[in-house]
Amino acid sequence: MNPSPAAEVATAADELTSSSRTWRAFRRNPLGMGSAVLLLALILVALAAPLIAEYPRGYGHEILSPPSAAHWFGTDDVGQDVFAQVVWGTRISMTIGLAAALLAIVIGLLVGVLAAYFRALDTLLGIVIDLFLSLPVLPLMILIAALAGPSVTTLVVVIAIFSWPEVARLVRSAAMAIVPLPYVSAAKVIGGSPWWIMRRHVLPGVAPVVAISVVLTTSRAVLSEAGLSFLGLGDPNTWSWGTILHRAQQSGSLATAWWSTLFPSLAILLLVVATTLVSVAYNDARNPRTR
Amino acid sequence: MRRSLSAALAAGALAALTLSACVPSTPEAGGGGDAERLTIATTTDVVNFNPLVGNSRTDSWVTNLMYPHLTQIDAEGQRIPYLATEWGYNEDGTEATVTIRDDMTWTDGEPVTADDVVFTINAVAEEQFGVVAGLITALESAEAVSDTEVRFNLSRPDGTFLDSVGFWMPIVPEHVFSQAESVQEFANDSDWVSAGPYVLTEADRGQRYVMERVENFPLAPEGTPAVDEVVFQIYPDVNTEVLALRNGEVDVIGNVLPPSTAVSLQDAEGIELAQVPSLGWAHLQYNMEREPLDDVRVRRALAHSVDYEAIREVALQGFAESTGGSTLTPTLTEWYDDSIQEYPYDPAEARRLLEEAGVTDLSLDMIYDQADANISRWAPLVRDSAAEAGITINLQGLERNTYISHADERDFDIYAGSWAVMDNPPANFALAFGTDGFINYANVSDPELDALIQEANEALTVEEALEPTQEAARIIHDQVYDNVLYVETFNIAYSSDWTGFQPVPSELLGIVHPLSLSQVRPAG
Amino acid sequence: MIAGLRFIGLRVLRGLLTIWFAVTVTFFLLRLLPGDPVLAVADPTMTEALRQKLLADFGLDQPLSVQYVGYLGQLLQGNMGVSFRQSLPVTEVLMQRLPWTLILTGAAILVTVVLGVPLGVYAATRAKGFADRAIQIGGITAQSLFVPSVGILLLYVFGVVFGWFPIGGAVDPDATGFAATLSMLHHLVLPCLSLVFIQLGSYVLAMRSSLIEVLGEDYVALAKAKGVSPRAVVWKHALRNALLPTTTLVGLQLGTLVGGAVLTETIYAYPGIGRAVYESVGQLDFPVLQGAFVLLAVAVVVANLITDIVYGLLDPRVRTS
Repeated sequence: MNPSPAAEVATAADELTSSSRTWRAFRRNPLGMGSAVLLLALILVALAAPLIAEYPRGYGHEILSPPSAAHWFGTDDVGQDVFAQVVWGTRISMTIGLAAALLAIVIGLLVGVLAAYFRALDTLLGIVIDLFLSLPVLPLMILIAALAGPSVTTLVVVIAIFSWPEVARLVRSAAMAIVPLPYVSAAKVIGGSPWWIMRRHVLPGVAPVVAISVVLTTSRAVLSEAGLSFLGLGDPNTWSWGTILHRAQQSGSLATAWWSTLFPSLAILLLVVATTLVSVAYNDARNPRTR
Repeated sequence: MRRSLSAALAAGALAALTLSACVPSTPEAGGGGDAERLTIATTTDVVNFNPLVGNSRTDSWVTNLMYPHLTQIDAEGQRIPYLATEWGYNEDGTEATVTIRDDMTWTDGEPVTADDVVFTINAVAEEQFGVVAGLITALESAEAVSDTEVRFNLSRPDGTFLDSVGFWMPIVPEHVFSQAESVQEFANDSDWVSAGPYVLTEADRGQRYVMERVENFPLAPEGTPAVDEVVFQIYPDVNTEVLALRNGEVDVIGNVLPPSTAVSLQDAEGIELAQVPSLGWAHLQYNMEREPLDDVRVRRALAHSVDYEAIREVALQGFAESTGGSTLTPTLTEWYDDSIQEYPYDPAEARRLLEEAGVTDLSLDMIYDQADANISRWAPLVRDSAAEAGITINLQGLERNTYISHADERDFDIYAGSWAVMDNPPANFALAFGTDGFINYANVSDPELDALIQEANEALTVEEALEPTQEAARIIHDQVYDNVLYVETFNIAYSSDWTGFQPVPSELLGIVHPLSLSQVRPAG
Repeated sequence: MIAGLRFIGLRVLRGLLTIWFAVTVTFFLLRLLPGDPVLAVADPTMTEALRQKLLADFGLDQPLSVQYVGYLGQLLQGNMGVSFRQSLPVTEVLMQRLPWTLILTGAAILVTVVLGVPLGVYAATRAKGFADRAIQIGGITAQSLFVPSVGILLLYVFGVVFGWFPIGGAVDPDATGFAATLSMLHHLVLPCLSLVFIQLGSYVLAMRSSLIEVLGEDYVALAKAKGVSPRAVVWKHALRNALLPTTTLVGLQLGTLVGGAVLTETIYAYPGIGRAVYESVGQLDFPVLQGAFVLLAVAVVVANLITDIVYGLLDPRVRTS
């Protein structure tokens, strides 16, 4: 949920030349690699959900039965298979997380780069970013989600609205380091259009920051989605990890049927830990001092 | 269960350690079954202390213990005396009279008199607010004939009047409430005055509400309640309430248990479950202003596409009774009609009916309150069983206020919900199925039905009202003006340290009503 | 001195701007999103006349711009209006809640810093070692936990199985004097622990990486060369500078923390502002919601102000730049 300062930008100067060195360093970090593999596995589960488990629907006759060979993660209070719910929940949770992250990143990137490139805009945008960062995020999300009605779209938009400032802040500070560099100034002097310069020089420079942001924002979005769904503001037509927890809470089985809460909680935990470890490892690999 | 500091340290969690270092054990609060305090868990705060306005469950529980009603109900749903000792109508049903007790007093020493009753009903009639306002449309005037006698003059014969007023209207003290400019806007948030078994003495919003025993409560067996204090304690949800009951922090969970929780607590040591039937029913309503739902064949097809047994047995875990699809439920034994039969779950028949009506690719939106745990359980079952009949149902689980506004504006195809309290069939039918009825969500407009409902409302006794009411229920079932799924059996959990609760129908009353709490006492 | 005052003045100005922004955003969000406040105030059974009167009482019949200016004017006088639902002044409703949120978040920050800084230092001095890895992973795992899940687990284990801590509430209201303080702390342990869990990681990691950075600086090398013991190098020379990012973090995280306490307050039945927000959303109680957001914004601004000043004290360069 919280940005780790380790994810902050080091220097953007020698990005392009050092990418292979970064990769080599990253590969040597077992934690980072393990987490990356775990993330890939989760993505695979999300993509292949229909092959792994049947879509959870209807009801079953074994109600709240603990994990067994037939139901690896047990069953919930209407007899549905919790394993199937978690598998399909992976798909929705990650989709919402990624979609919100991408939306947030598009906005954040735009604002961040503009602020760094056009000094005139910087003060204003800087203040806007700071203002957004000081808003009470979760209460506002609850408010909007409740008033706008629960749906996947609402969740994505709401989460994105409150996630972009963090991205913008990171991008801005990364871009700040690039814009004054000689080759960018040179491009300005020879009359390159700002749009062209941004695309040609600034965007590639901030790419690593963006990559990290995608990962971190996704995991934060997944947590936000879980929180909103848990409070009953999720989309009732889909299965996300938060929805599973919400249903367990509604049925009053949180404390008795531990399996109905443990597995979705673990899924959330795994995803968030893995993304954080990957980004930390990536940052370490990029930073010559910690490489 | 006192634990020493050293035991706490053994917990091992580093952070817990740092914190608990400054936290010695404290004696357990509440619980224990001594006669000093009964603690009741609830999930909502008191929103409004004005009993005539109050809207949350906790509002009713707390204010019901302070402001007497004219009548109360027994385990069969029949009216029994409370403040009123006798009540009845004149020959043509245009006058209703009530005789009230002369031995009840408000806690500030003022007697409870007929003037209080008149003041209350006049305030509601003039300012038109709360649930009572919709039930007294026949009222012309009310007068205190003596200190203990009230006469209501009615503009038309209305045999439902006394039942409704008796059940729904709390009597408030005139000498307190008349000081406010508007009774509706009176917050009543301090210096409470009670004529019930307990009086509120302390309100810590977000935490608890403390009510102390009223020494003189003539309806209590000994003339005074057995317990010194009743405390309503706030918890976030039923999960934590159960934890609190198990560790002895609370004695009663006021809220109804979700069915699966009830199952898991059935054999729990030290916990008892009281079972009470609902006074209402859970149902699906089809918006008849929208095509093709105006076609009875389509509505019957929908009725055939619901797997009623699965809803009752799985979603409700068997804590639900079939009414045979009738709007007259077995809870109200004197009204029940067992000749009505539920539409069998039969997707093939549903397909045939749709074909006959010339409807293909039927796709409907179904709204429900997402916070309602039971409906969120069975709504997917309704969707999945309808899919078997080739009908697509899109679930719209809405935030509660949005849901209510959709229902008020009749903005839905299918409305899934439940009526909490339907205590008097003729009066309820007028509201729910009469043309332009206030909660006529299905937009029913049937002259034959209207005539029957009117006849039932004018009848002054149950015997007279029974035939038109049962006929009305048959039409409602036959035309699928309402598709009744079940009557829930509520489970209410309490600690076996206590005994003497008086369970009555409905989750509104359950075991947390004045008569019950004036009799409860420690067990053993 | 003058520079210092100017610095503080600017910060205050910025804080006011933030509060105005939060007020404005919530004001228009509440009114422009679907979800009709009229529903909350007026009952469908009401007569039209009474309905109009109520709407007029709450100013809901006026154009948005008039309502907005009116609300800002009210706020300046310290008046947050009257709750739709409770017929009580919003100030009264919220002032019952605010202290609890402040106690909870205050305790959480205190414990987090007290634990986080030493752990971070420990990890930094053993960078790349086993302890360092373990602390890092532990911190990251803790901050990735989903609060409600942890809450229920802690409640079940420590509240029911062991029976050490109460299940809900903030204090045993019957206790008085010292016993009341103890009861308050007793109720505070589990919710506070949950918040510490999710924050600790950030602090440990921030402390660790900034200390590693500082330990590489010339003046530290100089101190080492002068024969100062490694322990003294860390605690006397490096720590002061390494603390700066942690200070920033406190300010940055406060918004998240105060708002994020919603879930914690909800699961532990802790009567703070966050839970009031969640409840008021369900009741469409706009004045209370708005008031809550104003308070949250003020709390964050004040905390940031304090952080800035502390930062300024730790690092004199800031004041003059």
